[in-house]
Amino acid sequence: MKRIFDAQLIGPFAAMLIVAVIVALTTERFLNPGNLSNLSLQVSIVALIAIGSTIVIFAAGIDLSSGSMIALLTMILAQMLKFMGLPLALAVPLILVVGGLLGLFIGLITAYGRIPSFITTLAGLIAFRGLALTFNNGSPIFSLDPALEPIFYGKVVGIPLPFFYLVFFYAIAAFAMNYTKLGREIYAVGGNPAAAVLTGINVRKVQTTTFVIAGFMTAVGAVLMSARLNSGSPNYGQTLELQAIAAAVVGGASLAGGRGNILATLMGAMTIVIVQNGLNLNAAPSSVQNIVLGLIILLAVGIDMWRAEISGLMGRLFGRSSSDTKKGS
Amino acid sequence: MTTVTPLWEFVDISKAYPGVLANDKVNIKLLPGSIHGLLGENGCGKSTMIKTLSGVQQPDSGQIKHNGQPVLIADPQVARNFGIATVFQEFSIVPTLSVGENIFLGNMPQSRFGVINWAKVRNDAARVLAEMDVDVSPDVITGTLSVGEQQLVEIAKAIAMDARMIILDEPTAALGEDEIDRLHQLLRNMRSRGTAILYVSHRLDEVERIVDEVTILRNGSVVRASGETKIDVSEIISAMVGGDIGEHYPKEQNTTENVVLEAKGLATKSGVSDASLTLHQGEVLGLGGVLGSGRTEIARALFGTDELTAGQITLKGNPVKFCREIDAIHAGLALVPENRKYDGLFFNFRAGGNITAASLGGLSRFGIMNLKVEEQATRDLIHDLEISSQAEEKTVNFLSGGNQQKIVIARWLFSDSDILILDEPTQGIDIGAKVAVYKLINKLTRAGKSIILISSDHDELLAMSDRIAIVQHGAIVRTVNAAELTHSDLVRASGETSHIKPQEVLA
Ligand SMILES: Nc1ncnc2c1ncn2[C@@H]1O[C@H](COP(=O)(O)OP(=O)(O)OP(=O)(O)O)[C@@H](O)[C@H]1O
Ligand SMILES: [Mg+2]
Repeated sequence: MKRIFDAQLIGPFAAMLIVAVIVALTTERFLNPGNLSNLSLQVSIVALIAIGSTIVIFAAGIDLSSGSMIALLTMILAQMLKFMGLPLALAVPLILVVGGLLGLFIGLITAYGRIPSFITTLAGLIAFRGLALTFNNGSPIFSLDPALEPIFYGKVVGIPLPFFYLVFFYAIAAFAMNYTKLGREIYAVGGNPAAAVLTGINVRKVQTTTFVIAGFMTAVGAVLMSARLNSGSPNYGQTLELQAIAAAVVGGASLAGGRGNILATLMGAMTIVIVQNGLNLNAAPSSVQNIVLGLIILLAVGIDMWRAEISGLMGRLFGRSSSDTKKGS
Repeated sequence: MTTVTPLWEFVDISKAYPGVLANDKVNIKLLPGSIHGLLGENGCGKSTMIKTLSGVQQPDSGQIKHNGQPVLIADPQVARNFGIATVFQEFSIVPTLSVGENIFLGNMPQSRFGVINWAKVRNDAARVLAEMDVDVSPDVITGTLSVGEQQLVEIAKAIAMDARMIILDEPTAALGEDEIDRLHQLLRNMRSRGTAILYVSHRLDEVERIVDEVTILRNGSVVRASGETKIDVSEIISAMVGGDIGEHYPKEQNTTENVVLEAKGLATKSGVSDASLTLHQGEVLGLGGVLGSGRTEIARALFGTDELTAGQITLKGNPVKFCREIDAIHAGLALVPENRKYDGLFFNFRAGGNITAASLGGLSRFGIMNLKVEEQATRDLIHDLEISSQAEEKTVNFLSGGNQQKIVIARWLFSDSDILILDEPTQGIDIGAKVAVYKLINKLTRAGKSIILISSDHDELLAMSDRIAIVQHGAIVRTVNAAELTHSDLVRASGETSHIKPQEVLA
């Protein structure tokens, strides 16, 4: 457990708390139980997708395709439920497989075709939404299945189900990243691919795997999105990929790869959603929301980059004596 | 000697990094027309001083004086304007740019309208390279050159500035004897024109040949100021480590009759043309040759990194074919690469992750790693190899070069490899760490493991090998007993194609 809850969580956790306190001070509605449970619904989809985006980033890749993939997957799910008459219990697992396969496809092209993931997933970003439009003549499909909505709106002991999905998937991801061979290999590939090759790690396979995970988690997000709106639409998930990446970055994941804590991404996602929620509650226009989101990303990365300078400044401000610093090494 | 005003002087300069006081009130005087050696163990603060003088960082306290006047070197551009040229330990060349562009980076000859004068860039770069006797075209993309050639470009960059103060932080780590000789000749010429030179190297034999005075650091403080030590390897060593290190080359003979590896007529697209060798159990087989002779490529061919176009590898009598590194690793081979920073270390990991990286399969059951074993093994290896205990807690970028190198070797101890290929294993590490690596080699051969040792340090290669295979143009031309070879034999044998021109290069 020491491994999972390490020092890398302190910053993102503090950021989340600070933001929450500020929002709570501006509007008392923030701490309403209704609002808090609404918050966990709001964060769930982006936070689940961000698991995949973060793992791709750990391996020094980037996934820009998740938002469009969501649209495509909600359309496929809608198609299966509404027009093909598949039962929910079959359609949902199928859509998870399709998500994994789409990820596999992107991963193979990236790793074995040696095309940077920025390009392959940018192509995915464009093409998947195009593909989504080929279903149902490009129109949304509504009223899919009465049993779909409870997947998102259901509650157990008064707690919304998405909360449990978050706990479940983040627990698995945290375990995988810290305790499994695959997790270690992902960090190794992101840290130094050339060294990974020389230690016998199958770098391409590992890179591909990260995209399969990302595709799978996007499919999980797609199921929740369909359940939330009981529909599929080629317009769903716009800029969701950017929010997921923002969550990873605010959580401190290094875009250079190899560094970061997956649980910090959850905190990053919460930070972003709390800010959006605060602006909503204060009736800020959406233009302001986007500007603020941009600033948060800059600030998060900036604090990370200037960490040394900041700690040096703190030392000087609060008079750290040189006897605190150990001599030599 | 004290009557000359120093060109540059440090007065009580201190600099702390988080957790380390890297420079503790250091003083140094750099005189024009003098080559000043700055020596000390890994992590004693040499590069820290150099970064301060180059304007890369500001000291926490103390004064820098230029011709006796206190000055502020606010950033690297200011240092450059003061006529300071620095060859940093970490490469600062841009691999995607041409050699010419790199040499004049930040200093491009421009026409009146701010347009780069490409003809001048090319001509001036060609002139500097010719002065240095380096056979590289200014138009080549720098990243395609070998590590040694890149290092020469790095040096050319400083020389092109025609600076009055030249700082070289381990310029020779990646160079062969031949290149070192040429560099020394160049430095002597600059010295005679009154340039001040600050020189850092862990190869004390070459330091002894070139420097006029030395300053020795230990744990961030000056322990011997200029003039307080004789310029003599053994005196320098005892001042550096604060004691005796014992035998410099503690060679043990552990070789047996058993052949463990045999290679016949290996060839690759990367330049190996005809490499045949046999390796015995417990033996250290040295590969000798000049920079670019193909020793590293032979290592890569053996390890399955470069595909064989001809030849056969036999392990304990069984023919093998390695399609990938993992095949070689499973067969018991290990490769400690030439450049630990580039493809040796995971800087995002602490010692543990680095040590177990090649054994993740053996460490896991059903994909789940046994972290207890990892932790214990890491602690044991850190203890056995006398690696800094910081390695357990800190990522390896915070460790000294010697500690980093030991960690890369520890990786292959943990994987329990039988045949270790060590490519320049003592590059850039201090004398104490070198001896530790030699002892490690002994320990390995004593345990029946075999070693292929690649080194550009001829003395080390002669002392630590049982036999030496001479490599020229990717081929092993002959193999001789190390005892039958002298230093000059080796220079002659490996360098038959090279050229030593003791001309007045900068006259
Ligand atoms: N950027 C940094 N942040 C924190 N610690 C650092 C940093 N750079 C160097 N150190 C530490 O400062 C000390 C001095 O390092 P320095 O690089 O000056 O050593 P050095 O004498 O050049 O060693 P080497 O021979 O290995 O190059 C070491 O303990 C090192 O770990
Ligand atoms: Mg150094």
